Amino acid sequence: MSLIELRSISKTYKSAGLDVEVLKDISLRIEEGEYVSIIGPSGAGKSTLMTIMGCLGLPTKGTYILDGEEVERVSDRELSRIRNEKIGFVFQAFHLLPGVKAIDNVMMPLLYSRKVPKDARQRAEAVLDKIGLGHRMTHTPGQLSGGEQQRVTIARSLINNPKIILADEPTGNLDSKNGVEIMKTFDRLNREEGTTIILITHDREVARHAKRILTIKDGEIESDQWNENFQKSQTGPARSGAE
Amino acid sequence: MRIFRNLKQALRGVALNKGNTFLMTLGIIVGIGSLTVIVAIGEGTKAKVLDRIANLGFGPDSFSVYAGSGRLFFRSGGRTTSLTLEDVDDIRALPTVRLVIPRQRKRMRIIYKKEFTTTRVYGVTPEWQIARNWDITDGIFFSDRHMERKRRVIVLGSTPAKKLFGDKDPIDKMIRVGNVFFRVIGLLEEKGLTESGYDPDDRSLIPLTTSMSRLTHQTYLHSAKVMVMNPSLVENTMEDIRQILRENHNLSPLADDDFRYVTPEGIMQWVTESAQAMNRMLILISTVSLLVGGIVIMNILLVSIRERVHEIGIRRCFGARRSDITQQFLFESVFVSLLGGILGTLIGLTLSIIFQRFDILPTKITWEPFALAFVFSTVIGLVFGIQPARKAAMLSPEEALR
Repeated sequence: MSLIELRSISKTYKSAGLDVEVLKDISLRIEEGEYVSIIGPSGAGKSTLMTIMGCLGLPTKGTYILDGEEVERVSDRELSRIRNEKIGFVFQAFHLLPGVKAIDNVMMPLLYSRKVPKDARQRAEAVLDKIGLGHRMTHTPGQLSGGEQQRVTIARSLINNPKIILADEPTGNLDSKNGVEIMKTFDRLNREEGTTIILITHDREVARHAKRILTIKDGEIESDQWNENFQKSQTGPARSGAE
Repeated sequence: MRIFRNLKQALRGVALNKGNTFLMTLGIIVGIGSLTVIVAIGEGTKAKVLDRIANLGFGPDSFSVYAGSGRLFFRSGGRTTSLTLEDVDDIRALPTVRLVIPRQRKRMRIIYKKEFTTTRVYGVTPEWQIARNWDITDGIFFSDRHMERKRRVIVLGSTPAKKLFGDKDPIDKMIRVGNVFFRVIGLLEEKGLTESGYDPDDRSLIPLTTSMSRLTHQTYLHSAKVMVMNPSLVENTMEDIRQILRENHNLSPLADDDFRYVTPEGIMQWVTESAQAMNRMLILISTVSLLVGGIVIMNILLVSIRERVHEIGIRRCFGARRSDITQQFLFESVFVSLLGGILGTLIGLTLSIIFQRFDILPTKITWEPFALAFVFSTVIGLVFGIQPARKAAMLSPEEALR
């Protein structure tokens, strides 16, 4: 059974009375432990695909099965639980809670789990340590650099040990050096922890970090291929993460 | 517990958005603050009136009958020549009545040599002193003999005595009341101003018979004070007296009474009624300001939700349910409102104490405003918070993050 299975997914938005079909009949499977890039020009439907895979919105047509659960059949409550337990989000704009300490930002998803683990703080500290921000735990987002903020969001996405990390243009707001650091973090997570990573980007250089590259155009999958350079990118010299 | 986690997030939100929090509390502070002051003034006024009543010399077993229709001290027209000594005799004959003191009253100028002052001159019977239980510090009170012989003797209260004589001894001095000379035979003990500024010592007493023949030149009475055997008899006795007086005055069954009662309960009731009318208006005003305060909270909360769309979206992305968001914002609004309530109570309390200290208005601090503030602000927080909170919760996470 695949971790993610999309069956003939369509998504239509109403805009100024017109129906705009953003996703057209997309079918897709992603297995546990995969490292996938979804690439395409802006407006191709990448972000919409991500909202559906992230259980943030429901498709207009089609079936989405995530880890054996059919998503359109469940209530908002269940959907919230799925997001909480199975998915970690990383956004281009970071989306950290302003004015809240890094460690509390990292612990935030635990607030909404069924039970707050007793070792919540230790866990958050460990995750922050792992991504190299152990010394910045009590800083608020405003006191952190862009790269640091993005690493806090990665720590936040990891706190609940999710099966999937959904990253939407994670390097988009970073300079190339920080971009590379962030990508290395993803590579390591996939390699060492076996976390499924789905990376949405419009940047081919960034996409090349993944084992599998999906190209989306006009709401359809244009190509779905294995990345022949994958081994090289994992071992080769650091590449520029952004343009 | 999930609900406590949301409460904690709400408190953090309140702390992080200090500007908004301050604006939101303002309306509630004004509303609860004024409510606190109003209640304190109401209680203070009541206490003042009670003090006044205590100084009127009413015990629980006594009341007064005044000539003329109307209510309490306010005559609503009609003859004042209705109460006579025959009426008093008939009242005295009732088995439940212990004492009746008929009274005439006239405001007069009194003169001693070059000094003069105006005072209330009462014509009473010697029982007055027993009924009022008022000591004589110097000289004597007049007796039945003085009454029978219509002697021109006067007992001075301390206020007129001081005005006419200063430190000198007034006993046996001759003073002029209107055009008639009276001999001062006694001096009433000084009671001092009451808390409310009423001067019980501003009075002088002469025998009723002398008053009738020398001062008022009539036999009609101003009023009569009745003391009954025990307090439980007051109501029945009042009814009996009503029957007697109506019969004596030949009133037809349809006619209004041409006399009226003054009782401590009556005064209290009147005070309470007038205080209530005023209170009702003031409470209306503070309710309106609380309502406005609630609307302010609602609006600022709505605006703040627009500012915090991202926060809501992030929380939803990481597993917050709709109910979590609703709870968080509802807690924020209740907490802000409560904060306003607490600050308002403190400010109201401070104002009340200042009013009392500097003699601006009488106030009295009771526990009720605290309970009121607590209940009111919680209710306002809930009522005006629910709509913004629900609105925040209904945002789809997808839209919230765009």
